[in-house]
Amino acid sequence: MLSIENLTVSVDTKTILKGLNLNVPAGEVHAIMGPNGAGKSTLGYTLAGRPNYEVAQGAVDFNGEDLLEMEVHERAAAGLYLSFQYPLEIPGVPALTFIRTALNAQRKLRGEDEMSAPEFLKTTRELAKTLKIDMDMLKRPLNVGFSGGEKKRMEVLQMALLKPKFLILDETDSGLDIDALKVVSDGVNALRAPDRAMLVITHYQRLLDHIKPDRIHILVDGKIVHSGGPELALELEAHGYDRYLGEAA
Amino acid sequence: MAFDLTPLDLFDPSSYPTRRNEEWKYSDLARVLRDVPSRTALTHLQAATGDFGGFYWHCAGDGQLGDLQAAVTKAIQVSGGRLYLDLSDVGEEGAVAGYQGEGRIALGADEHLILLEDYSGALDYAANTTLHFDLAEGASLTRVVILDEPETAVSVRRSTVKTAPGSVFKQYVFATGAKFQRFETHVEHAGHGAHVEMHGAYLLKDTAHFDYTTRVNHAEIDGTTEQLIKGLVKDRATAVFQGRIYVEKGADGTDARMRHQALMLNDGAHVRAKPELEIYADDVQCAHGNTIGALDEAALFFCQSRGMPEDTARALLMQAFVVPVAEQIEDEALREMVLNWIEDKAGGFYAL
Repeated sequence: MLSIENLTVSVDTKTILKGLNLNVPAGEVHAIMGPNGAGKSTLGYTLAGRPNYEVAQGAVDFNGEDLLEMEVHERAAAGLYLSFQYPLEIPGVPALTFIRTALNAQRKLRGEDEMSAPEFLKTTRELAKTLKIDMDMLKRPLNVGFSGGEKKRMEVLQMALLKPKFLILDETDSGLDIDALKVVSDGVNALRAPDRAMLVITHYQRLLDHIKPDRIHILVDGKIVHSGGPELALELEAHGYDRYLGEAA
Repeated sequence: MAFDLTPLDLFDPSSYPTRRNEEWKYSDLARVLRDVPSRTALTHLQAATGDFGGFYWHCAGDGQLGDLQAAVTKAIQVSGGRLYLDLSDVGEEGAVAGYQGEGRIALGADEHLILLEDYSGALDYAANTTLHFDLAEGASLTRVVILDEPETAVSVRRSTVKTAPGSVFKQYVFATGAKFQRFETHVEHAGHGAHVEMHGAYLLKDTAHFDYTTRVNHAEIDGTTEQLIKGLVKDRATAVFQGRIYVEKGADGTDARMRHQALMLNDGAHVRAKPELEIYADDVQCAHGNTIGALDEAALFFCQSRGMPEDTARALLMQAFVVPVAEQIEDEALREMVLNWIEDKAGGFYAL
């Protein structure tokens, strides 16, 4: 589904990703683990198309399309979803308005009919219930004054409504207590499907106890230095990244 | 203390303030009003802003705006104290029609009025209107002002407000600017425990000029003032905000807060802000905050990453910036009307 070849990216003239290769087939969940500053978030932002993330080299194929040639909103409409480590607060825009605007913009670009207000409300109400989100919260400006857990639940609600094909979860566990982590993980797990893939970016093994990956990749200094099965997470938890740091040099 | 309004007569060019006058430093009337306008009576244009269920009154005549007090009495009798004051002007093509008028509204003890002032207009005109509001004990006035004037208009709209003990004055001004547009409010905080709010939002483009000048004099104890002014400025438009809060000796317990926040959407746009606090009492709380910035690029990317094209995302964020001012309007019908007006004005505003 997503295939990255020799990706080299710099931010403000500093090269962060240095020839990264990665392949995530449909139906699989892959995890990217690595120390601080390895380039984990840069990978997410580059795939989503954030300005100032300069691609110097490489190619990204997303379901047969050249992802890097697409505008930010076109990537979203094509099915890419980046869940931000720190979802932004949007003062003045009720969460419902924000999500409905995004959803209908995507549908319009794909040549689909807009979702009507009653249908949107009905679908949202059902999903909000399973995520323990109060409808009153959805009438408030998006993420403004929300707790860390509420912001992440709001992210999961958006994923469930926008139905992306490829999910990038950037440090989704940060700022979550155990209970919130369970609600969010359950929400993400409910989205696992044969025609959908996920890339889970994390520091810690903790999140991977809840969202079980098929493959784990270790990112050090802008490159994938090692890949393996789910057991790799436990090994990292026991021994740390030290043995991989030399390999990147 | 008497209200300190700069003397201005549209038909006497020697009275036009220039930038040498500190109060008019950023809004030079003499520069835009080169030809003396010809004296005309207000020509009526049915204002198109909308209906909020208030008693409708069209201001007419030259020199005086008509019997506004009668309109207030009628509004209190028939529409629950809701008055729609239509002050729309039609100018003349080619020649500058000059209109000048003054009116008075007094609210008796515990009387309540919700007032919509609609200054929609067309063609070329120069206008100089002044309204005086006098609030008796326990009276309340909510004033929503729509300044939706043609880009060729020169307009000076001034008002004075006098509070009494326990009275409440709330003002919300929404403006799109004009060739020259100045809205001035002078408040004499003369009532023990009176409460004043003066908010505003502006959406300026092309070469529009809008000046919001507020003067508040706290003369009594326990008076409160709240201000939130937010605006968007693009192209070569100019926004001016001059807010002064003066606290007299002995006006203890005063609580005054003033905030002005503007977004400049491109190089070439101008925002001139001059907040002033002058305090001579000992036991007061006063604060002012002034921020001028650009659209938040991180928020813009966040919206785009969820599927919104750039212009949709900009539109959403810009509208969201000014909407909080309108959301404070308590009257639901009036609030909805203003929100629709903002949405309408904001459409076509975003494409950069």
